[in-house]
Amino acid sequence: MKVYAVIPAYNEASRIGGTLFGVRPFVDGVIVVDDGSTDETAGVARESGATIIRHAINRGQGAALRTGTDAALRLGADVIVHVDADGQHDPSLIPSIIQPIKEGKTDVVFGSRFLGLLPSDMPWSRRVLLRAARSFNSLVMGIPRRVTDPQSGMRAMTREAALLVDFRQDRMAHCSEILRLVTRSRLRWLEVPIRVRYTSESLAKGQRSADALKIVWQLLIGGR
Amino acid sequence: MLIQIVLISSLVLALYVTWRRATQGVISWREALGWSVLWVIAGVIILLPQTTTTVANFFGVGRGVDFVLYASVVTLFFLVFKIFLTLDRVERRLTDVVRKDALKELPEQKHE
Repeated sequence: MKVYAVIPAYNEASRIGGTLFGVRPFVDGVIVVDDGSTDETAGVARESGATIIRHAINRGQGAALRTGTDAALRLGADVIVHVDADGQHDPSLIPSIIQPIKEGKTDVVFGSRFLGLLPSDMPWSRRVLLRAARSFNSLVMGIPRRVTDPQSGMRAMTREAALLVDFRQDRMAHCSEILRLVTRSRLRWLEVPIRVRYTSESLAKGQRSADALKIVWQLLIGGR
Repeated sequence: MLIQIVLISSLVLALYVTWRRATQGVISWREALGWSVLWVIAGVIILLPQTTTTVANFFGVGRGVDFVLYASVVTLFFLVFKIFLTLDRVERRLTDVVRKDALKELPEQKHE
């Protein structure tokens, strides 16, 4: 089984090297989608031996993930893992995410920050917000309440699932969109615990709490 | 009144530009007609403000001016929403183009 990691990266030159170093032992190939970076992201990633796909201009994390997923399919991937570039996701958890797929137990695996492994240093405001997001997802988006993490970026899916899940949200709303598409399809899915590191750096660059409103707006107007 | 003169002259100008663009093929005849109707209605409202009161009373609004205000707010909201949707569509198409370009040189491998 060929396992490909897809890592969208926008101006991550300082961190992409470390992330790739951590991810490579667990996968057969790494695809970095340089989402129109203005720094050395592509160069650093190339030195680490990753396949580089470059967006001519910045299109957002969702768009980059989709491009990377399409690229993995072209390269013949059997399993595709989505990982953030900034080192938030602990790469050593990749095996536990792809294991259920390898065993043929499921088609899609979502990493959840709320299944036991305590998120290190998750700010309380983020916790409250994610709880609200979960309610929004179940009430408005029709995503089952069983899903414990509404906005997790670490997930794995089979080739067949990747071909089926047609996510079109370019920016941050893709998390909820993928959850919706998967949970409403006939694909089998489950959540496994993951751990996320919140550093001051990743919090500064990552999503702001106010982005929640943007995500809601994108989900509501971004029809098919 | 001065305001009427200013508004009517801008409407005449708008009407002129609309039909000029139509003859140039920039907008379709149907669009031009649609815009013209809008300009003419605006002209009637400016020259005969009391007509709006009749319409307003029909809808249960007291003053014609209030009715025009309400109607324009609703119209503007609608237009802004339409622009949002258009922009969203344009953004998606832009992404499609960027993606196609990004994947252009990636060889397609047979999946066994």
